[in-house]
Formats: sequence, structure tokens, C-alpha cells
Amino acid sequence: MAGIGFEIKKILRRDSYLALFSAYAYAGIIGSGPWVLSILGVLIIGLISLGVVLPHVLITQFQVTVTHLIAMSLIATGFLQLAFTRYIADRLFEKNIDIILPNFIGAIFVTTLVSGLIAMLLAAFAFPQQGAVYRILLIANFVVLCNIWIATIFLSGMKSYKAILVLYTIGYSLAVLGAIVLRHGGLNGLLIGMLIGHFVLLSGMALLIIRSYPSTRFIEFDFLRKNRMFTSLIWTGFFFNFGVWIDKYLFWYAPSTGAPVIGIFHASIIYDLPIFLAYLSIIPGMAVFLVRMETDFVEFYQKFYDAVRDGGTLGYIEEIRNEMVSTARQGIFEIIKIQAIAVLIIFVAAPAMLKKIGISEYYLSLLYVDVVAAGLQVVFLGVMNVLFYLDKRVIALSLTALFAGLNLVFSLISIYLGASWYGYGFAISLLLSVVVGLYWLDKKLAVLEYETFMLQK
Amino acid sequence: MNFPTAENADVALLLEGTFPYVSGGVSSWVNQMIRAYPEYRFAVIFLGSRPQDYGKIKYELPANVVHVETHYLHGAHSPPPAQGKPGDSGAIRDIAELHQVFRRSQSNTACAFGQIAELLKRGEIDEEFFLYSRAAWDFIRHHYREHCTDPSFIDYFWTVRAMHEPIWVMARIAANLIPVRAFHTISTGYAGFLGSLLRNRTGKPLILSEHGIYTKERKIDLYQSQWIGDNRNVFEKDPTEVSYFRELWMRFYTSLGKLCYHQADIITALYEANRERQVQDGAPAERTRVIPNGIDLARFQPVRARRPALPPPILCLIGRVVSIKDVKTFIRMMRSVVNRLPEAEAWIAGPEDEDPGYAEECHNLCESLGLTEKVKFLGFQKVEVVLEKVGLVVLSSISEALPLVLLEGYAAGVPALTTDVGSCRQLIYGLTPEDQALGASGTVVRIADPQAMAAAAIELLRPENWFPARDAAIARVERYYTQDLMFDEFKQVYQQALGEA
Repeated sequence: MAGIGFEIKKILRRDSYLALFSAYAYAGIIGSGPWVLSILGVLIIGLISLGVVLPHVLITQFQVTVTHLIAMSLIATGFLQLAFTRYIADRLFEKNIDIILPNFIGAIFVTTLVSGLIAMLLAAFAFPQQGAVYRILLIANFVVLCNIWIATIFLSGMKSYKAILVLYTIGYSLAVLGAIVLRHGGLNGLLIGMLIGHFVLLSGMALLIIRSYPSTRFIEFDFLRKNRMFTSLIWTGFFFNFGVWIDKYLFWYAPSTGAPVIGIFHASIIYDLPIFLAYLSIIPGMAVFLVRMETDFVEFYQKFYDAVRDGGTLGYIEEIRNEMVSTARQGIFEIIKIQAIAVLIIFVAAPAMLKKIGISEYYLSLLYVDVVAAGLQVVFLGVMNVLFYLDKRVIALSLTALFAGLNLVFSLISIYLGASWYGYGFAISLLLSVVVGLYWLDKKLAVLEYETFMLQK
Repeated sequence: MNFPTAENADVALLLEGTFPYVSGGVSSWVNQMIRAYPEYRFAVIFLGSRPQDYGKIKYELPANVVHVETHYLHGAHSPPPAQGKPGDSGAIRDIAELHQVFRRSQSNTACAFGQIAELLKRGEIDEEFFLYSRAAWDFIRHHYREHCTDPSFIDYFWTVRAMHEPIWVMARIAANLIPVRAFHTISTGYAGFLGSLLRNRTGKPLILSEHGIYTKERKIDLYQSQWIGDNRNVFEKDPTEVSYFRELWMRFYTSLGKLCYHQADIITALYEANRERQVQDGAPAERTRVIPNGIDLARFQPVRARRPALPPPILCLIGRVVSIKDVKTFIRMMRSVVNRLPEAEAWIAGPEDEDPGYAEECHNLCESLGLTEKVKFLGFQKVEVVLEKVGLVVLSSISEALPLVLLEGYAAGVPALTTDVGSCRQLIYGLTPEDQALGASGTVVRIADPQAMAAAAIELLRPENWFPARDAAIARVERYYTQDLMFDEFKQVYQQALGEA
């Protein structure tokens, strides 16, 4: 598997500051690509529509619609994301290549069926003021988005980061282009542009998957059979996405912080903008995450299990274990360091930046909290990633459930406490989850050989 | 197959890979023993390796076998679900002590083993403790560091696990066995371990009767086995040292043997040299005794009358044509014999199908020595029929225990010429002074020495040597090696064990 680690190592081998920089830049773009491109796409479409799509509220309605569609689709597909990727990885490990494509098609089929049903219910009852075209576009966009997440997670599970990045770039360029051409059509025009972009993106990914895993059968539902997917991973995927979005939902629908924008889709003027800006600040953190996890950590991870299987001495096994632990520790610390730098830069530069793009300084303190929180989210991802590599599924599940629960409770409390506390719910829940996660990781790494040898199933 | 079961029995026979599923010398002996004591009710506990290795039972069960259990050491049970736990450090200390005792060749295992057996009985150490506990893991790690000279930890780990797997099977058997008054194991090894466990658990006496020497046979197996790994590289390897895992297995079987020797109340050997070896391996001398196999005199006495008046110059090897019998030395000897005694013949009475390659080599050897007329391969024969016509029973084996053919020859009035293996010296020249006073019933020569063997054969065939040897042979077998004597001796053993004496 020519993964990202291989590509990055190739760049790093040139051994210069420029090489180091390009390696991190490459990893940064690839690691955060899909997120950043989605946010950027929506922002750019909003910007180019300024003054063209009138009244202005239509742009807001567009942005809120897309945001809600992304949030709902991520949560809805959360059940499949991790569990299905693991299912595919296990089949690849068994060299059961034939079974992959039909089950991917099966997953797409199930996703389309369920997401279509949800979207149709929404379209039928939730938007009494909107016309049929909007409702149809809502359904179409939602179904395509859900499938995009399935395909994306499939490809990133196969470490095809480069292909993902290229396809996302093409897809969102088309979405922007479509929006430019169709912006005179108002809200629906923008949504059609978005749909075209997403559809091309999905088709590209599907094509890539079909070409990479040929099979004689078309569709199968083996992954839905009992014990074929890990129940723990189904719920881990759900809780993670639920946890990431629950604070946003609370702020959208709390009377004091949110307001209806279109149909049942609410938005929170005070909460939304800072958090989306904050997510842009995690690019360097994601770069470090990818370089450290996919190259250094994975290298020692593989060495560890090779040493175990191929008859290494106990001393050597323990040595590699220690190296692995130290790369995991280094990786997580470096994410923290780089995000701390990002946070400091934002702290210094944010007032001037906000002024420049004409956003009220009222958002400033919330932006600060959100930048810290977004950074913590990268650390959280790093911890989860190590847990997945070590196959500690129960801990991963508990950790995401903890995060989801804490974010729900603390965000509610922050809304109750008032404006100066906004954002703290999200940040503190992540902080606690990261601390608990690190604690568990520490415990599990300390008994790694014991559990590897004595408790293997 | 429905086996009888009972609430209790007098003697539990612990049988590893023999009666009633496998036919052979030891199994026949067990069958003979059970039938000899109709007054005792026997429980038969069979230990096999895997269920698929055995077919139907090979012996009709005697009426006094009231209870039969069949157990398998491997592949018959699945381990409990994996669950991490700390494990009791006190138990680990006791186990460490037992391993210490095993390592010191001279110390007695009885005390340390008693503690372990007690922990097993109380359930304080069980399979989960061994498989999943931190304490067990730390113990394995420690011992790998201390002792293992093979680099591969995973091989060490799995060797240790494989070695201990049968222990849990036997702990379960011991926990569920019906009450009996004494245990009788026919080997050390796993059956001997089971006997030791039962001895500790119930306080009832344990009898150990060894035919071969289990530990020695296992060692030969281990030297020949291909499945034991050796992961040392060219620089780590010392060619004079056996692979660590081989050594580990050997020490394991030696330890099992030692345990059984220390636990058994009465230990019997077939002949004196074996008894000495048992003592050397840890058996307390005062508990050992020799009870040789006995033969049914009535079967062979009539043969004497049918024999020719003068010894015919026919040398007979009765046994399978396999390398352990060293048939080639027998054939080479024949070349020298025929040179000086042209009328002499050699007969080989035994099946050739066990090792066809070796049998063919023997035939080729006869041809190249020009002996095709003189050496006759008879195939399987009834022993009485052969003994009627021959002058000497010859054994050229490189290994024997207590060969029954010698005794059968004696009973039929045929002296013997043997190599110096197993009990042969004792059978030819006598063991005790009274026995020796009966005279030599043949001649013993070194192994693999055809010239010496030929010279001895020619000497022995001279009537002035032959007749005294025959008389000594008949006297010896009738005095020391009859079935009745064996039954009497074991009757005493049972009476002592059951407290009836």
C-alpha cells in the first residue's frame, strides 16, 4: 500500500529545510484537505454571490442549508464510517478482494436508501415556505453528501489521500464554477452548483474504487450480516460525529443564541463564524498529525508486530515498544506544540484580521476559545488514531461517548451561563476527553506486550 | 461406544496411549493383569493425545473393569475466554519454588509439588491464571530472560503454553474422578503426573509400574522431531548444544518423571538395570522393586519333548525386521559362522512390513555375503513352532527391555545368545547369587560385534556347552520368570497399597 507515509518519506529524504517544509505542507493539505476545501467552498460561494444573489438573506440560507446538510450527513453516516472501513480493511487483510466492491456498492445502496428517506421526510414537512425545486435539491444534495462521506472514509482507510485531495479540488472547483454560472438563479442556483460539484466528486471517488477493486459481483450485503462489523466501531463513529456537532446544534436551536434561517434549519450568528474560522487554524496540526502518525508511529507499530511474529527477543520487542510509545508521545506533543503556536498567532493577529474582513470584534473572545478547542480536537484525533492502531475498540468507544456526553452537558451549561462562557463547553469537553484518552493510552501502552501475548483472541 | 461407569472402584489404572485403544506389549500386559485379579474392581483412565488418533478399542473389556474414562490432552477443549487479571503473587511464589526444585537435579519435589497440588485443588491456580494473568506473564518473561538461550520470544512463549496445556486437562480429570482405593500408573509422563495429582488430592497410594523408561523414550522422540524450532543464527549457535526448546521439552519430561518418582508409594521396574536408573532419576530406592514379566510355562513346556536330541545348528532371531533389532549384525555374524560350520543356518522369524527399506537392505546384505541359502526370512511365525526346531535364540538388538522371546526360548529348552542390552545380562547370567548359581543360560556379547557373536555361537552350539546352558535356562525361567510369580508379586503390591496385607 503506497500510503501517505511513503510519499512524505520520499520528500523528507532530500534532507533540507525546504524538503521538511514541503513534506509538512503536503501533509497539511492532504490531512485537512476535505474539511478545509468544504469550508472554503461554502465561504467562497458566499463571497462571490455577494451583491449578485439578492436579497442577502438568500446567501445565508444557502450557507445554513449546506452546513446543516453536512452536519446531518456526517452524523447519519457516522454509524458506517469506522465500522465499514474496518470491515473493508479486514477483508483486504484476508486477501478477499472479490468481496470489496459488491459490499461497497451495498453500503452505497443502504446509505442512499436511508439518507433518501430522511431527506424526503425533511423535504415534505420541514420547509413549508420553500418550493418544490429547493426541496428536491435538498434531497439530492443530502443523499450525495452522505455517499461522499462513505467514499471518502473508504479511500482514506486505503490511504489514498492524494486521490481524495485531487478529487475534492476538482469537485469544489466545479461547485464554485457552477455557483458563478448559476448564481442568478438565487438560492436554488447555488444549490445546483453545489450538487454538480458534489456529484462529480462522488462519481470520481466511486470510479476510483470500482477500478481499484474489480469484482465479478455487483452488490452484496455481507457487511450487514451479524458480527461482520464491530458493534463498538458503529457506535464510536456515531458518537464522534454526534460529539463534534452537538454543541453547534445546541447553539443553533437555543432561543438565546440561535434563530431560524430557512424552514427548520436554524443558525447561530454569534457561534457559527468563529468556529468555522477556528477550524481553518488546524491545518498545521493536521499536517503534524499525518506526518507523525503515518510515518514514524506506523513504522514502529509495524516493527513491533513484526518483532512479535517473527521471533524477536523480548528485549528487542520491548525496545521497539518503547520507540513506538515515544513516537506516539512525540506525535501528540508536536500536535500540541504546533497548535499552541497557531493559537498564539491567532491571538496576536485576530483583532487586525477581523477588522480587515469586517467582522465585529465582538467575536474575538469566542474565536480564541474555539481556536484552542479546534486544536484540542486534533489532539483528540491523534489519541483516537493510536487507539485504533492498537485495536482498543472499547476504549475508543468509551472515549467518544464521553466526549459526546460532556459536550452536550457543558455546552448546555455554557448557554445557560451566558455569552462570556460560549465556546467553553466545547473546549472543556475536548480537554477532558483528551486527558482521559491520554491516561488510557498510557495505561494500555504500558501493558502492550502483556495484552498482545496473553490476551490475544 | 458405551463404557461402563461406576460410583467407585478398587484400583484406577492410569494409561497413557495404551490399553484399551492401542495394541502392543504393554497393553497386553495390562489386559493380562486385570484378568489375573478378578477380586479387584478396576477403573480404566485412558489418556490419549487427540481424539482423531484412535479408533475403536482393541481389547474386549474384562468383566472386572467397572469404570472407563477416555480423555485427550490436546484439542479436546477450548480455553476460557480471554480476560486480563492481576493474578495471585503468592501462588506464583509457590510455582517458582517448584521450578527451582525441578532445576536442581537432586532435590525432592514432593513438598513444593504438594503446595501446587493444594492450590490447584482449591482453584487458586487455574487455566485462566496461567493463560491471562499479569503474574503469569511476568513469570514467563522473567524465566525467558534468566534461562532461554533461543532468541525467539514468541516461540518460547508458545512452547511454554503448549507444555502446560495438558496440566489443566489432568487437573479436571483429578477433580472429577470417582473414589478409588489406589492408583496404578503404567508410565511416568502425563499419566504419572495425573497419578501424582490424585495422590496429593486424595491421599490414596500411587503405584508406578514402568516397562520402558518413559523419559528416555521421549528424549529419543525429541531428538528425532522436526517440529521443534531453533532460531539461533550462525553466530549464536553452538553445535554441541541442542536447541533450547528441545532441552526445555526434555527437562519437562524429566521433571514429570521426577515428580512421579517422588510421589509414588510403590515403584516397580521390569529388571534390575531399570530399577537402578529409576533410583538415579530420583526414585527413593526403598520404594522400588523389580517385578519381571512372567510367561505362561504351560504353553512352552510341551515343546521340549518335541525337540531333537542334539542341538540343531540353527540360529534364530525372533523379532520384527527393524533397525533397533540390528538384523544386519545378525547376518554378518552368519558369514563367519558358516565359514567354520557349513551346515549352520540362520532363521529370521518376524514381520518385515514395519520398515520395508531396512528389510530390503537386509536381503541385499545376504546376497552380497553369499548367504541367500543360509539365511531364511520366515515372516511372522508362531513362536512355539519355531522353538521346536532351532538350536539358539539370538538377539542382536541395540536396545531391549525384558525380551519375552528369551524367556519363551528358555521355557522351550533353548538357550540364548544376546547383546548386552536391557535385562539380557540378568537373564543369561542371573541377578542374585542364587540365580547366578544356576549357571549361564547362554552368552552375552557386545552390541554390533559380528565376530565375537559368531565365536560365541559356535562355542555355545558345542554339546558340552549347550546342555548345561539349556538346563540353566529351564531352571531360571521356572524359578524366576513365570506368570504365576509375577501375579503373586503384584498381588502383594496391591495388598500393600490397599492396606490388606
